[in-house]
Amino acid sequence: MEITTEQRGTVTVLSIVGSVDGMTASAMVVSFREQVSGGNVLLVVDFTGVDYTSSAGLRALLETVKETRQRGGDLRLAAVQPDVLRVLELSGFTHILKLFPDTESAVASFPA
Amino acid sequence: MRLEIEREARAGNLQGIRDFIETACRQAGVERSAAFDLKLAVDEACCNILEHGYAGREPGPIRVGFDAGDDRVVVTISDRGRAFDPKNAAAPDTESDWQHRRVGGLGWHLIRHSVDSFSYESDLDAGNRLTLVKMTPLAKASTGSE
Repeated sequence: MEITTEQRGTVTVLSIVGSVDGMTASAMVVSFREQVSGGNVLLVVDFTGVDYTSSAGLRALLETVKETRQRGGDLRLAAVQPDVLRVLELSGFTHILKLFPDTESAVASFPA
Repeated sequence: MRLEIEREARAGNLQGIRDFIETACRQAGVERSAAFDLKLAVDEACCNILEHGYAGREPGPIRVGFDAGDDRVVVTISDRGRAFDPKNAAAPDTESDWQHRRVGGLGWHLIRHSVDSFSYESDLDAGNRLTLVKMTPLAKASTGSE
């Protein structure tokens, strides 16, 4: 899995490429925690390059949604691919996570 | 068509087990979304085995068998870790708001929704075996049944 981070104004965009499973989800968690502990709580996670997630990925997302929202921020997902979207829907995550078709609209959804 | 692999129960082997399912599905002519469902169910089951079944002990083997019939795929997952009957899995939380949503506990929920039926057996000598059944018509061209 590859994770790249880019700052766009007040918003931090994390682009993930690869499959998220019981092995790789921990790298995602480390990356998310680094941002939150550094005070970056306006997060956009770009899932364009994520072809698979198991419940391990859902754990990482939910943990970070809670941490960012408790600090006045949010984690917003961009460009979720159909297979991954189905896992999110099955798990009831589409009711609590904000999803956007692309990174630009997710970044723009945060107040400037 | 029957295929089988055995891997040590380590997180680093999850991708290899998913690749095995994906390749087997392709060879058997299983359509894409059914193949994804099987991959997810097998991955969740294997992750449970390495996180709970072999917790606190040396990682033992996980054996995955793949059988393709005319209208279904049967996948068996065998291990020698601690037994866990899926009947005892906690009810998933898929509806609470974000503040109250429980982190984790979705593995068995995803397995249940990804396959048509499953059964679990545990035996002191034979170990544990989870059997997953996915009903899916196989593409004739790929089965070589003509």
